[in-house]
Amino acid sequence: MTAGIVLAGGRSARMGTPKAALEWHGSTLLRRTTGLLARTVDGPVVVVRAPGQQLPEVGPSVEVVDDPAEGLGPLQGLAAGLAAVAGHADVAFVCSTDLPFLHPAFVRRVLAAVDEQADVVLPRARGYPQPLAAAYRTALAPLVDKLVAAERLRPAFLFEETQVTRLDDAALLAEPVLAALDPQLDSVCNINEPADYETARARPAPEVTVQRYGALATGDGHRGPRSVRAATLAAAAAAADLALDRHVVAALNGDQISRDAELPLATGDTVAFLSADAGG
Amino acid sequence: MTAGGYFGQALVVDVTDGTAETLPLTDEVLRGYLGGAGLGTWLMHRLAPQGVEPLGPGAPLAFVFSPLVGTPLTTSAKFAVVAKSPLTGLLNDALASSQFAISGKLTGNDAIVVHGRAAGPSVLLVDGDGARLVEAGDTWGTSAAEAESRLGERLGRGWRIASIGPAGERGVCYATLSHDGRHAGRGGLGAVLGAKNIKAVAVRAATKVAPADQDAVLVAARDLRERSFGQATAKYRELGTLANLLAFNAINTLPTRNFTAATFTDAPRLAAEDLAEARGVARNSCASCTIGCEHIYQTKGGGQARVEYENVFALGPMCGVSDPDDVLAASARCDELGLDTISAGGTIAWAMECAERGLIDAPWLRFGDGAALLRALDEIGSGEGLGELLAQGSRRAAELVGGGSEDFAPHVKGLELPGYEPRTLQAMALGLAVNARGADHNRSGAYEADLSGEHDRLAGGAAHVTAAIGTEDRAAIMDSLILCKFLRGVFTDPFDEWSALLASVTGWDVDGAELAATAQRIVLAKRMFNLREGWTPADDWLPQRLLSEPVEVGERTAVLSPERLRAMVDSYYAARGLDGAGCPDEAATADLRLDNCILSTRGWMP
Repeated sequence: MTAGIVLAGGRSARMGTPKAALEWHGSTLLRRTTGLLARTVDGPVVVVRAPGQQLPEVGPSVEVVDDPAEGLGPLQGLAAGLAAVAGHADVAFVCSTDLPFLHPAFVRRVLAAVDEQADVVLPRARGYPQPLAAAYRTALAPLVDKLVAAERLRPAFLFEETQVTRLDDAALLAEPVLAALDPQLDSVCNINEPADYETARARPAPEVTVQRYGALATGDGHRGPRSVRAATLAAAAAAADLALDRHVVAALNGDQISRDAELPLATGDTVAFLSADAGG
Repeated sequence: MTAGGYFGQALVVDVTDGTAETLPLTDEVLRGYLGGAGLGTWLMHRLAPQGVEPLGPGAPLAFVFSPLVGTPLTTSAKFAVVAKSPLTGLLNDALASSQFAISGKLTGNDAIVVHGRAAGPSVLLVDGDGARLVEAGDTWGTSAAEAESRLGERLGRGWRIASIGPAGERGVCYATLSHDGRHAGRGGLGAVLGAKNIKAVAVRAATKVAPADQDAVLVAARDLRERSFGQATAKYRELGTLANLLAFNAINTLPTRNFTAATFTDAPRLAAEDLAEARGVARNSCASCTIGCEHIYQTKGGGQARVEYENVFALGPMCGVSDPDDVLAASARCDELGLDTISAGGTIAWAMECAERGLIDAPWLRFGDGAALLRALDEIGSGEGLGELLAQGSRRAAELVGGGSEDFAPHVKGLELPGYEPRTLQAMALGLAVNARGADHNRSGAYEADLSGEHDRLAGGAAHVTAAIGTEDRAAIMDSLILCKFLRGVFTDPFDEWSALLASVTGWDVDGAELAATAQRIVLAKRMFNLREGWTPADDWLPQRLLSEPVEVGERTAVLSPERLRAMVDSYYAARGLDGAGCPDEAATADLRLDNCILSTRGWMP
């Protein structure tokens, strides 16, 4: 089983405002990141926050845990996150909250590389190692605790004592689905300053396919698939001229059924809108 | 005094000699079991000898009405047919609708029970003068529709007729019984009537029945009528249940080629969205219904067929057949013969797989071959070729053929699975496994929970068990009041709203809590009937294929392991107050409101 951990406890000093709460196409960055992990892993998703940190709403069934101490960096958050999911998953994808283009295919690619030889799968994408878009065995929790206690707070210290599989751009993009849906590896583009945010926010929402079914498909122009831009389920519904009320549900990629308006969408997703009264 | 909406009696007719007796139905029994499927279950406990052969003369078959029949409440003109099933060997109830329900009740009876065996093909007439038999040899061999038409002309005005087709006469274990083209379809009740040499039952209204509070009923009827025009019923009104097909295909939930896949590449050829435009010719309603779910399509050669999702699923994707002409022709053929389309399609799909694996010698029978599908239906109707084997349903046929075919026979308790993939709808998987009737989507609508988005439909667990019990309880009440389940979406507080309707008709001070307890009683009573007929916990299970072969769902793989199903079944038993052997505790048994002598003879009372 796999888990997702979002480290939200950074100070957002350069941004000047908490990054977790930044607006993202009618949602927030934190909501988007947790939602993307929740739709990708098959185990729990937790958010690690600094002591007393105010967070925007997180997605359904996402747990929030507290860092025991503030200002000790990502290893402290990693320790808290791994401890929270250790009993429920073998491996966790760990990321920061400021990855608006994180794609489920990237998460799956990294998690799939965890094997018996790897304690950590560390992407080296777009020229840099990405410890906050990487996979960690949850059994590492005691080791990370020990490193924090010894004030060895940089991720590099963890990598010195573990088996690390490194994935460069070519290795990542050898996976055809990821190559098709995130060819530039925008998944690891993070946002640190207001200008980064404005640039990222100005990009169009992900291109997704929507289709109405059954009674929702009656009437002119409502049949067949349509390509639209939508970052959330609500936006996709609006693009399909629908409201997500009690009579409508959506199926994401033929799998997850949802009415969650803020369910994040990613490039290449298909959204089927069904009558909630489906059945005989 | 009998409560409003009831006559307080059942007419029990022995068709061996045409004699009839009146069985009083006390207020306690009526309030405890309501009508329809619930009251039918009580009648089977009371009247069916333990271990009775379903097609033997001693087996009773009950037409059961309900307190709401005859009121202006929309969708209330329905009746239940209840008997021990020749397909499952267990309790079976099936619903049909329209004028037979109203006229049948207004014969002055809350139920008409038939047992015995007539000397020759006959029609049972029931009206204000009681029951009598008339000879009907000229209708033997005709379709139910033809028999209904001929008998209608012969009997004259005011008679409403429920009839069987040739499959019922021949004892096909999934033969239907129908009225005005609407079938009490599942479980082979047509064969039970046919075994009694009864081609049809005709009823004529002779009296009236008044609700306790006529004004309240009228107000409720107006309100319900308005609500029935809303969004919650749009699907049924606009495209009918066939709207499911393309949607289910999109979410990997359309059983295909005998459950070897959950999507069907050619599903768009059978989609309601297209067929309605190209072939739709009419939309009809049952009597007293404001929804109008029946969508009539033109068939090749100028005929017409009623089209439902289950017909098209079972005779289309389940058999790998994608040509709409073939599927509509097969559906029409099932109507003519009087065959349950789900069991017919499921049994033929099993046979297609057997033929492809070389387990049965029928090289002409292949998945995807529409002509072979039609030939198989004809053989089932005539008893020729594979007909005798396939007429027994997939469970018994697999027992005879062997070769491992039992593992992919698509049934639960002998009843073929409907068009809901259990591996990708795991609340529904439990509902299908534990339901008393067998694999059934109308007695357990747990797919609602799977499609609600509130639970992961691929990870059945505690929440799925709770949801499955909830839908089973709601179905028990709707099938007993009776209200059409297509109306269910208009109720926001179902038990409270239904109890208010029942109170206005009967005058009882019934509330939602009482009705919730009634639901549990009815569900338990069905299980208890099965228990006395040889049911064991091993029957609350799914075919091996569904527990050993995963299906792909987008980026995930849907697996329903035996361990997961076991855990859900065990939780279901615990929540229903059943022990590991499926036996209820003493308090639950006492609440069944059966005579102590019945309970004691069955070992349920000290």
